[in-house]
Amino acid sequence: MSITELRLLAPEIIIASGICVLVLIKSIHSLRSISLLPVLIGALTPLVALLSIVSTFNNPYEIILNGQVVIDTLGSGLKITAYGLSILIILATNINQLNNKSELILIELFALLGISILCSASNLLVIYLGLETLSLSLYGLVASNRKSVKSSEAAMKYFVLGSIASGLFLYGVSLIYGLYGSINILDFNNLSVDTSIELQIAIGFIICGIVFKFGAFPFHSWVPDSYQGSTNSVALFISTLPKIGAFALLYRLLIDSFYSLSSLWSLFLLILGIASLIFGNIVALSQNQIRRLLGYSTIGHIGFILIAISASNQIAIESSLIYLLIYIIMTLATFIALEVLSSDNKSIDTITDLKGLNNSHPWVALMLLFCMFSMIGIPPFIGFYAKWIVLSTLLNSDMIYAAIIAIIITVIAAYYYLRIVWYMYFEKSDIPLMKNTSNLIQKSLLFTIGSSLLLLGLFPEKLISVISQLFDQIY
Amino acid sequence: MLLNSIIIIPIIASLLIGFLGKDYLRLNYFIALSSSLIVFLLSLYLLYLFDPLSTEYQFQTQMNWITRFNIQYFIGIDGISLPLILLTTFITPLVIITSNTSQKKGLHQYLAAFLILETLMIGVFSSLDAFLFYIFWEAMLIPMFIIIGVWGGKNRIYATVKFFLYTFLGSVFMLLALIYLYFKTGSYAINDFYNANLSLNEQIIIFLAFLFAFGVKIPMWPVHTWLPDAHVEAPTGGSVILAAILLKMGGYGFLRFSLPIATEGAVYLSGFMIVLSLIAIIYIGMVAIAQNDMKKLIAYSSISHMGFVTLGCFVYLYSSNDSLNLETANLAINGAMIQMISHGLISSALFLCIGVMYDRLHTRKISDYGGVITVMPKFGALMVFFALSNAALPGASGFVGEFIIILASFKINAWIATMAATTLVIGAFYTLWMVKRVIFGSVENNKINTLKEINFTESLPLCLLALSILALGLWPNPLFDLMFNSINVLSELILSKAS
Repeated sequence: MSITELRLLAPEIIIASGICVLVLIKSIHSLRSISLLPVLIGALTPLVALLSIVSTFNNPYEIILNGQVVIDTLGSGLKITAYGLSILIILATNINQLNNKSELILIELFALLGISILCSASNLLVIYLGLETLSLSLYGLVASNRKSVKSSEAAMKYFVLGSIASGLFLYGVSLIYGLYGSINILDFNNLSVDTSIELQIAIGFIICGIVFKFGAFPFHSWVPDSYQGSTNSVALFISTLPKIGAFALLYRLLIDSFYSLSSLWSLFLLILGIASLIFGNIVALSQNQIRRLLGYSTIGHIGFILIAISASNQIAIESSLIYLLIYIIMTLATFIALEVLSSDNKSIDTITDLKGLNNSHPWVALMLLFCMFSMIGIPPFIGFYAKWIVLSTLLNSDMIYAAIIAIIITVIAAYYYLRIVWYMYFEKSDIPLMKNTSNLIQKSLLFTIGSSLLLLGLFPEKLISVISQLFDQIY
Repeated sequence: MLLNSIIIIPIIASLLIGFLGKDYLRLNYFIALSSSLIVFLLSLYLLYLFDPLSTEYQFQTQMNWITRFNIQYFIGIDGISLPLILLTTFITPLVIITSNTSQKKGLHQYLAAFLILETLMIGVFSSLDAFLFYIFWEAMLIPMFIIIGVWGGKNRIYATVKFFLYTFLGSVFMLLALIYLYFKTGSYAINDFYNANLSLNEQIIIFLAFLFAFGVKIPMWPVHTWLPDAHVEAPTGGSVILAAILLKMGGYGFLRFSLPIATEGAVYLSGFMIVLSLIAIIYIGMVAIAQNDMKKLIAYSSISHMGFVTLGCFVYLYSSNDSLNLETANLAINGAMIQMISHGLISSALFLCIGVMYDRLHTRKISDYGGVITVMPKFGALMVFFALSNAALPGASGFVGEFIIILASFKINAWIATMAATTLVIGAFYTLWMVKRVIFGSVENNKINTLKEINFTESLPLCLLALSILALGLWPNPLFDLMFNSINVLSELILSKAS
């Protein structure tokens, strides 16, 4: 391993060492009293990793470690997003909660490591390694709310389904190896279209693994349960970061390697995308538990992303990544708002807890209003551009029926987002909302991210152009 | 620069009010009123600088916004949008003046919502880039949703959600049409859309997509059902803005988008559009007769009057012989524009009147009133005047628009004109009958005797509206002159694309 290779692998190495330090600290009993230390490490590790990657960002496309790892701008961009996001999530979490369970930080760092590996793996086994690192830490995260029965149930469900999906994925990988005698994804670049049943099964299995990580139909059932069972901050984590990993997985497998077989996989993705869009949004209509509702809404958003990818051209991949990033920003703002409103002994659980929010917390209510209208896709909020860019992709690729289904479902979905707004603004609260104990960092995060929904919506140029630059090396 | 500042001043004022919060009631009211008055004065200056002889868009500003998709911040006005902008800037201060008396709870948010709405409405009328237009158009749903939902009546949540979902469903189809046109022309500029090369089938589909958006907004039968609910539940100011300006955006959309872009589609479907307009005029007019809630009655009467706007927009395309007549087209579109402006003034006056009565008795039922004129003579006189204008009495502005549209219809088909003309009877029936039961008659209800005459802040908006209705009715020529060239350009474009 040369020095350059080490330099390019710096983020993963930094995170791994952060994990080691954290484990060491936790084993030294006397240090337990310094409760801020784990939080500090949890925030600093991704920060250092972020800085290390920024210094190598303009590196040319490179394949290192005998073709096991690929370094390109897209992977680096995804990593930067993931690291930045994890810093924000740690800052947004109630400190008290983190003190009680500093294992959370450890698990989150493990998950981050898994995502990093997924972002730059170019070998089917390395991909599997990253996938499992991510999945196992997520099982732990979902189960972390030990007081809640729902949480254990969700973790169990997630674990069983996740193991099946991993098994299927691994079977797909081995079929690919059997067919082509290679596990290096760069060898699959120019496959001729081949409709043999083995290949179709292999691709189908691999898609199952991807779709499970996204939490799309028909592998969605863990999503609402795990959101409901966990705390706001854990729900925030599992609703955003793993999707970046899932996108990296999808990108590496379907676009980087099996792109020439797009006629095989695009139909799969289209059907699953439309199914999750319809299913997620329709079921969300009748939800009252707010995290469960957001879980179903996530399924719907993922549906949009999959439909966009199924158009399988350059613009399609770009617009799906734009949609994903915008979805992450919106989800981040929403969950931080819920976290700000929650106090140590009472968290916001049902929609009715939000009654009269406009009277007790007008600014938080305004930020949540931004989030909700952004998720519906009303301009000038950033969520509109996500929907618009995907619709543009669909019309450009002559998928007009998918576009019509998408907009009709969007209108139906508007109803449950509007319900949240109406509880906040139109209803009077029976019990005044408790005084919140959130700190200044959380509040300032909420207002920065919340108002960025509007500001990015007014000036979306930068976001769109930055994302399209990530793809410059490939096309 | 002038147009930009007209667009941006209200939203800056609303931010200021938002940051001041609920503790500075008088200051907030002062900021809202003065900013909306400044905007009104600036728009008058805009009118002064506007050159009615020019056929170009004036006061243009063009800046790149999203270069990757060739989207621009591109605004400018012509003789079609200027009257509607003036209407907006005129009505908004009136609404803000009255908000003081009828609105107590959360006044600062109420004022901020209306100012945001004003920015968005002016933005809709001055956008020359379809993407920008869509942003303004759609963003308007947010403040309106909040206004009806927070300050509305008992059934407000149902009404506001219905309003939101109806209009949202309509406009997403427009979005698809706009994206489609972008891929055809490579730009979102409306002028480029006019030159798009579209087959008849494409034009019909695009026309229908636009019809969804504009037909719901205007609203046309059978997608009108959100309007009575929204009107009844909305606070007075909300009803006024809804009737005076939001509905006009549908008509504006037909003139700016449907007709010049999908002309052949419009010609192909003109018969259909005329039938829908006549149903709105006659059937909805009859529905209005049967109402016992004053706001609902005016809401149905609005739908019926807006039927004239759609009739004016499409009637000249329905011609049995192949030669489409420029003169008829000009006449009909002029009529539609006048009808929009005049309906904006009359309906907002009527909603303000109902608001005055509702503030006193907290009921909108016709049967709860009677003999109001005996205790409120000034108010009664104004209300009678507005009712007569609503019934298209010659001399009031309502007459001019309807007369011109009927005249234009006569040149096309006597039957269409005759059916449209029945509104003169039906309209008179429902408005005058309401006036008879509410204003005149004997005092049935003891509470009526306790009513107080309107005060200055209530009578000022009503008097201003009465004056402008009268002025427009007696001497509409300046408005015609203002619009003539732009409408002529538009109808020439339509006719050249239609044949």
